Amino acid sequence: MSASDYSVSRRRFIEAMGLAVGASAFGLAGCGTSKRAGEAGSAAAGGKGADTLTYAQGADPRGLDPAFVDDGESAKVIVNIYDTLLSYDKDNCDLVPGLAKEYKVSDDGLTYTFTLQEGVKFHDGTACDAKAVKASIDRQLEPARTEDMPYASFVYGSKDAGSGIASVEAKDATTLVITLRAASTPFLKNMAMALAAPIVAPSAIDAGDANEKPVGSGPYKFVSWTKGDSVVLEANEDYWDKENMPQTKNVIFRIIAENASRVTALNNGEVDMIDGIDASVVKTITDAGNKLFQEDGMNINYLAFRNDTGVFADLAARKAFLKAVDVQEMVKSLYGEYASPATSVMPTWMAPYTKEVKQTAYDPEAAKKEFADLGITSCTMLTYTNVRPYNSIGGQPLAEAIQGYLADAGVEMEIVSYDWTTYQTKVDTDAFDCCLYGWVGDNGDPDNFMNLLADENISMNVGRFRNDEYKKLIAQGLSLPEGDERNAVYLKCEQMVAEQSPWMLISHAQTLAGYNPAVKGFAIHPTGVVHLAGVTKTA
Amino acid sequence: MIKYIAKRLAQAIPVLLGVSILVFLIMRVFSADPAPVVLGQHATAEAMEAWREANGLNDPLIVQYFTFLTGALTGNLGESYYTHTPVTQELMSRFPATIELAVVAILIAALMGVALGVLSAVRKNTAIDGIAMVFALIGVSMPIFWLGILLIILFSGVLHILPSGGRIDPLLAPVGGTGLYLIDTLLAGDFEAFADAASHIILPALALSMYSMAVITRMTRSSMLETLGEDYVRTARAKGLRRGRVNRHHALRCAMLPVTTVIGLQLGSLLGGAMLTETVFAWPGMGKYVVECILKSDFPVVQGAVLLIGAIFIVINLVVDVVYAYLDPRIKYAQEEG
Amino acid sequence: MSRLMATTATAAAAPARPAKRESLWDDVRHSLAQNVPAMISLGVIAVLALIAIVTAIAPQILPYDPYAQDLSASFLPPSAEHWFGTDQQGRDIFCRILIGSQISLTVGLLSVAISLVIGVALGAIAGYKGGVVDTVIMRFMDMMLAIPSILLAIAFMAALGRGIDKAIIAIGFVSIPEYARIVRSQVLAVKQADYVAAARVIGDSDALIIFRHVLPNVMPSIIVRATLGISAAILDAAALGFLGLGVQPPAAEWGDMLGRGRNYIFAAPHTMIFPGLAITVTVLAFNLLGDGIRDAFDPKARKR
Repeated sequence: MSASDYSVSRRRFIEAMGLAVGASAFGLAGCGTSKRAGEAGSAAAGGKGADTLTYAQGADPRGLDPAFVDDGESAKVIVNIYDTLLSYDKDNCDLVPGLAKEYKVSDDGLTYTFTLQEGVKFHDGTACDAKAVKASIDRQLEPARTEDMPYASFVYGSKDAGSGIASVEAKDATTLVITLRAASTPFLKNMAMALAAPIVAPSAIDAGDANEKPVGSGPYKFVSWTKGDSVVLEANEDYWDKENMPQTKNVIFRIIAENASRVTALNNGEVDMIDGIDASVVKTITDAGNKLFQEDGMNINYLAFRNDTGVFADLAARKAFLKAVDVQEMVKSLYGEYASPATSVMPTWMAPYTKEVKQTAYDPEAAKKEFADLGITSCTMLTYTNVRPYNSIGGQPLAEAIQGYLADAGVEMEIVSYDWTTYQTKVDTDAFDCCLYGWVGDNGDPDNFMNLLADENISMNVGRFRNDEYKKLIAQGLSLPEGDERNAVYLKCEQMVAEQSPWMLISHAQTLAGYNPAVKGFAIHPTGVVHLAGVTKTA
Repeated sequence: MIKYIAKRLAQAIPVLLGVSILVFLIMRVFSADPAPVVLGQHATAEAMEAWREANGLNDPLIVQYFTFLTGALTGNLGESYYTHTPVTQELMSRFPATIELAVVAILIAALMGVALGVLSAVRKNTAIDGIAMVFALIGVSMPIFWLGILLIILFSGVLHILPSGGRIDPLLAPVGGTGLYLIDTLLAGDFEAFADAASHIILPALALSMYSMAVITRMTRSSMLETLGEDYVRTARAKGLRRGRVNRHHALRCAMLPVTTVIGLQLGSLLGGAMLTETVFAWPGMGKYVVECILKSDFPVVQGAVLLIGAIFIVINLVVDVVYAYLDPRIKYAQEEG
Repeated sequence: MSRLMATTATAAAAPARPAKRESLWDDVRHSLAQNVPAMISLGVIAVLALIAIVTAIAPQILPYDPYAQDLSASFLPPSAEHWFGTDQQGRDIFCRILIGSQISLTVGLLSVAISLVIGVALGAIAGYKGGVVDTVIMRFMDMMLAIPSILLAIAFMAALGRGIDKAIIAIGFVSIPEYARIVRSQVLAVKQADYVAAARVIGDSDALIIFRHVLPNVMPSIIVRATLGISAAILDAAALGFLGLGVQPPAAEWGDMLGRGRNYIFAAPHTMIFPGLAITVTVLAFNLLGDGIRDAFDPKARKR
């Protein structure tokens, strides 16, 4: 439509505008009954009041029903709303009582009898008894289990694999009996996980919207969730665990996708705690008078070779690659002091016996020669673009750094990158020679790490490493009780990884977070979640 | 008039239909398989196959399309793969945020743009004119996301006077009402919440408005200059009317019409800019959400959102045309859009 | 941007007549030469083009290899050695911006070429043929215009995957309707003219009439639109790069560099400031040139 040659009478113009204004005013007049989400006048501006804790994270939770999610962003909110049968200790993965006061294990290791706390109520007032716990677990067992429960088979096992829970029985209000298909050492630790394991109120399950309106028995009650903006929780004054009462009235999880924006928000006093930061912003945070939380993280950042096909199916080629990359220098340059070069799959603080494992050493001259002898001049790498908990700078700079080392060794590496969600499908479908990946431990058990290389599932075992001897070790470790014998099995696994080099181990990242000095008692658990019940804030 | 509107509406239907086909093709034919995204990293190949089957992704494309279309006609756009929430619900919960941002941005753009344009036309070839024109040129040349970041650095990072992101302090957020926080808080008489919402919207609205403001400034200036050169304006001046009165009463009024059109058109294009602005400012609106959903292959949401944005675009164009036809009797209602 | 620019371009260029074609072009050249901002912009663009060509032919003249990493030199602030500082991989940002001109200019020119060729063809056919052909083509164009072009481009890139070739196609594709609309309305205007009727009488084919008589009349609007279109394409490409949907690494693309830099706005602000400036200056140059050309074609504007 051409705009340049119209003229109009003033009256008509004004009429038209007036019509529009009048219509909108009329339309809005009927909606004057809105209230605030929080109680009126409770706090001043955002994040400033002592009765409100604001925690900023990079993405929305996927959902708030632990049965249907698999992401860290959901887990951080979930652990504050729900309880688990058992819990992890404050700063490690040792088990402490949760909803279950105590438990007994039968001699064959198949029957677990839990004694539950008495008189626990969900946030909606319904009873959190053995029957409720059974309902929360049963829905995740076959045949009730549905395809969109990502962690169900991992935590509760499956019929085909002959593992996990065979049945759950509520003997009386406080006695719960769980029968396993096969003895499993990680089982109890699984019961304390942030995903799949938290107990959801049957009333919310029946209503079918626990993902949007979660009802648990935890220290904080769900208030509201504005997608892409915030999740608001408030203290559960009737929390059963008097030693872990919520200390602050309101908790807000703010969603701020950009790393730099979270830092700005923290330094600007808009939020009290942020995660997902890297070495480059540490100084910005501390210079503004905020504090840095820094702790060894339970994770591994690695490069997986395609062990089944492509140029690195050959062990000699994998060895040449390992000699080409100076992992020490690279990790120091990219992550500063906030990650340590990995010498074993499991972080040494988690499994001290891994200290004796030795990886292939950096030797650029040998690498160049070996690549030349093998006739390898090019390869393809897949990577992700996002920041990950084990890789604070994102997959792109890491891939490009490795690309640089390989170029020095005479190998041209093509990098193909996708955002994380697409990436997960591409490692399944694309042709590639190596790819970047990583893992954050869920429960502190060595099986949780070492099983990755025995898994038939490609999305767990992206390098397609298949080794029967290794698998036997993993099966053995699963049923052995904790102790030296079990540790020896996992040490053997680690040594096999060092010899066979299905992966290039890169680093164990520290868990970093920034927080306002007014906040006391803040810590990120090794599993990546934050329990806010004990956190307080001075005005 | 009614016949004209009806005709334009009828024309809009095949366009919307075409939009739905286009989006459907892009998302279904070229995009990655959503099954692993949805089921997570622990899923098995069989589980993914079963999920694809259950969600109709193994059906022939034409069947999938008609399922989508019949759903859309009854207001059912399906469920988000990722959150299992109905798409209409997901979109409607974010829609007011985007509308509020776009409306505030267009108000800023229109007020500032017209003021600057008039000023520079009246003071043609002076320093004011020069500054305004340079400003307008830079406004159309700056990447909107870069401007947004610079604003955040200045006002939140250095001066600490405005929040860097978000829409309102979540505890002050009004419940119910229109979903437009500025209006809801005012109606509730909650001025503390209103001030908080206003402080949050300033930076993103300013960033988003910059491009439109620049366009409107240039448009106003040139149409003002055109009318100032018209005979009747010169006549009025010759009759001895004061310059300010002539400018106000004769020239500005006539110059406003093309500017109105531009404002209407810009409101539509703001929806595109909103995708980048919302991403930079963590504004919980539809634009940011659509970008996220495209990146994670959440087909139903992307389809629904693009359909909705397309419909809004078409409605805005229709309204602009109708207002125009009403304002200017020279346009025949039956005239085809050129 | 597109729609407003399109309208004003159409309106402005309407007075052109084929009879005076020679003198019109001379006139335009002359008027453009007197437009100082436009000539400065032309100079800037020429320098950019020169940089792009030279760095493509002889990249070794750059003081640093824009792709070579030196992890010991990451995030160095601007200095005498590194005028614009270094990025995370320790690469010289000045060199990367210079070499990035290749991508920005390529995307700008090629994507405009794509939309130009297809858009002009579709618009000419729709306008000349009329009837059902016209309706079908223009409805399709309306359909594309009903989706914000950047949204459509993002959807394309998400589906096709990253790559400069794909960005060119995506951006080129989404601006087809603007050209089609301009050309169609101009064709409708000249179709009835006497000389076209005369050509038809003497038996010229449709294609010949379109090429010889119709298109030359449309040229002024198209040139103005295309110049402004290049700046729009560069901005769109930068937006795609910013969202992480642009080029493959280690390619240097300004939007991509800005997108990476935004995570380091405090620790290393130079990583996002210089790419942003590069984009702004380039886009500004094409906008000024486009304005200059439009004014040159429009005698009314020249008189002012």
